[in-house]
Amino acid sequence: MDSEDDMHDANDAESLDDDFYSGETAMDSDDGDAADYEFIDNDSDDSDDLLSRRSQQNYTILNEADIHLRQEDDIMKISSILSISHVAAAILLRHYNWSVSKVNDEWFADEEKVRRVVGLLEEPRALPNVKELTCGICFEVYPCDSMSSAACGHPFCVTCWKGYISTSINDGPGCLTLRCPDPSCGAAVGQDMIVSMVSHDDAEKYQRYFLRSFVEDNRKTKWCPAPGCDYAVDFIVGGGTFDVTCGCSYSFCWNCTEEAHRPVDCDTVSKWIMKNSAESENMNWILANSKPCPKCKRPIEKNQGCMHITCTPPCKFEFCWLCLGAWSDHGERTGGFYACNRYEAAKQEGVYDDTEKRREMAKNSLERYTHYYERWATNQSSRQKALADLQQMQSTHLEKLSDKQCQPESQLKFITEAWLQIVECRRVLKWTYAYGYYLPEREHAKRQFFEYLQGEAESGLERLHQCAEKELQTHLNVESPSKDFNEFRMKLAGLTSVTRNYFENLVRALENGLSDVDGHGGSSRTGGARTLGAGSSKSRSSRSKGAARSSSGSRATDDSGQHWSCEYCTFANAKSATVCQMCQQRR
Amino acid sequence: MSGGIARGRLTEERKAWRKNHPHGFVAKPETLPDGSVNLMIWQCTIPGKTGTDWEGGYYPLTLHFTEDYPSKPPKCKFPQGFFHPNVYPSGTVCLSILNEDSGWRPAITVKQILVGIQDLLDSPNPADPAQTDGYHLFIQDTVEYKRRVRQQAKQYPPLV
Repeated sequence: MDSEDDMHDANDAESLDDDFYSGETAMDSDDGDAADYEFIDNDSDDSDDLLSRRSQQNYTILNEADIHLRQEDDIMKISSILSISHVAAAILLRHYNWSVSKVNDEWFADEEKVRRVVGLLEEPRALPNVKELTCGICFEVYPCDSMSSAACGHPFCVTCWKGYISTSINDGPGCLTLRCPDPSCGAAVGQDMIVSMVSHDDAEKYQRYFLRSFVEDNRKTKWCPAPGCDYAVDFIVGGGTFDVTCGCSYSFCWNCTEEAHRPVDCDTVSKWIMKNSAESENMNWILANSKPCPKCKRPIEKNQGCMHITCTPPCKFEFCWLCLGAWSDHGERTGGFYACNRYEAAKQEGVYDDTEKRREMAKNSLERYTHYYERWATNQSSRQKALADLQQMQSTHLEKLSDKQCQPESQLKFITEAWLQIVECRRVLKWTYAYGYYLPEREHAKRQFFEYLQGEAESGLERLHQCAEKELQTHLNVESPSKDFNEFRMKLAGLTSVTRNYFENLVRALENGLSDVDGHGGSSRTGGARTLGAGSSKSRSSRSKGAARSSSGSRATDDSGQHWSCEYCTFANAKSATVCQMCQQRR
Repeated sequence: MSGGIARGRLTEERKAWRKNHPHGFVAKPETLPDGSVNLMIWQCTIPGKTGTDWEGGYYPLTLHFTEDYPSKPPKCKFPQGFFHPNVYPSGTVCLSILNEDSGWRPAITVKQILVGIQDLLDSPNPADPAQTDGYHLFIQDTVEYKRRVRQQAKQYPPLV
């Protein structure tokens, strides 16, 4: 497969880049980029592990010819093992969803039963040996030689056969399981008979259904969901992630066929997508910003003006916005029109508390959702833009650049790689917002750490994006080759590699529910001391400060007994300290 | 089987029926006011089986054929509101062999359809209910169900 080779190339190139980059930072020490990433970069075990993970590709991209070949292969296999015709083998495989082993199992367990179920007769019957026969469909009498039958020998005229088969082909993929037209007969009609009887167009349609069935009915394969893409993906379940990059360069999750969404899991993605499309947010808005008319219950938004509300016709009910009581009850008695004492009094008694609280909560939750959604959507559109830029780069700019800088295009691969990395990072960053949205509010330390990592990722990516966009422009708009082009090459390649590593680590950290990264993060910043707090915060459900404080005390003794972990910043403090050395919060 | 064959086949069906048909059944194409025959709509009668609660009833059934016949089955309709678990409120019969996506085969004859529906009368298929009234009584109140069936039989006496 092409794509596989590309992958290996990319890996090789990357290891070179790494060397390049370490050389460059040594020379160019005022460039602080590398330092920010150090705590993740220096973990050599992890990057080895990562490389090996990346090289174990557990899927294969298939084009139409490949699919056809595999299908033929399987049919041949069954045909030779069971000593049955090619056509019969195809019928059998289709019936058992193209599982060679299932066909074998069933066949050798009870051949007779399988034959009956699938409609394969052991002994084909010929047409009755008479001069003339009546067609069972049009009831006309025909000479024997213009009649035809499936393996069962039920005679129908060729015209009716053609009609029967082409109707079934035009009705959809059901034509793949076509049986004899006789109502009491279950004999299967084979591919050979079908293809020989119908028009060229119908035969082609049938062949398409046949090929599609091999992908769609097979549990191991799926079509690439990208619009207009004809590749299928054969996936071996069990190893590694569900992420698949198709030959068309679209990345998707094999499990849920949504676009690739690491580090977020499939359930969260479907929840998030549902949330984005659902009316539920509209409902929240209505709840937060409107009150129902006390009489007709239609929601009313108060955009300005006084408290005297008149509902629109036909209701026309006049009421007070504050207490929702009838306006006719208002006046001197209730403390004046514009000082609704009833409301204040009732509020003090707690009558309105529940509805008010609900409204307040809805408002907060809407704001929170909007925050994450906006960032999710912005990264999405940034990614679309980056994809378009990448395409423009490949179609025009690379050639121009190669011309201007007197570099062969093969030497400009680092630019394409940078853009591919930007596209990938935008995707990851986008999904971290869905991740953040579903990260429980009460896991305070975890949230803080998550936001820190996300912020770093964001600024790292901005740096790369800036370099690939702006600095490239300067080299593109020169008359003669620029002297510092090689420097630019090293910088961009270096940024690409460093950003890639950072994002890969980020993805894994988030997938591990941030338990792992706490360890890394802590060790780099505190010089080897292990942080204790956030890793165990999953099991903690305490909301009050008091409870948290006491539980953090017990955690400290659980572990080495040398440190306590700050509830707010996860810093591991010496046992003797009563105030966090990092953030000054009290223990 | 596009186009022409529907009428040819129906002519043959008609011939075969006149030669021989099961006792008590009626099946003939509609006659229009001007005296011409419309082969695409057949007026039929299905007798209730002897020995069942349906006995004594002669149930009118209309078959609506399309130009796609016999690729596609005819639509079979009892009068609106016919009491039977597998008959829709519109009168349309719900039966596997009349379903183009599952049981229909072009070689099924009018005779087989009518006999099939006669069988269905006294042995409804509770897995495929088409009306609430008939279905619920059939499931929950056999006595009332049988009473309704016998009552309906009296509504459709022989047309002599």
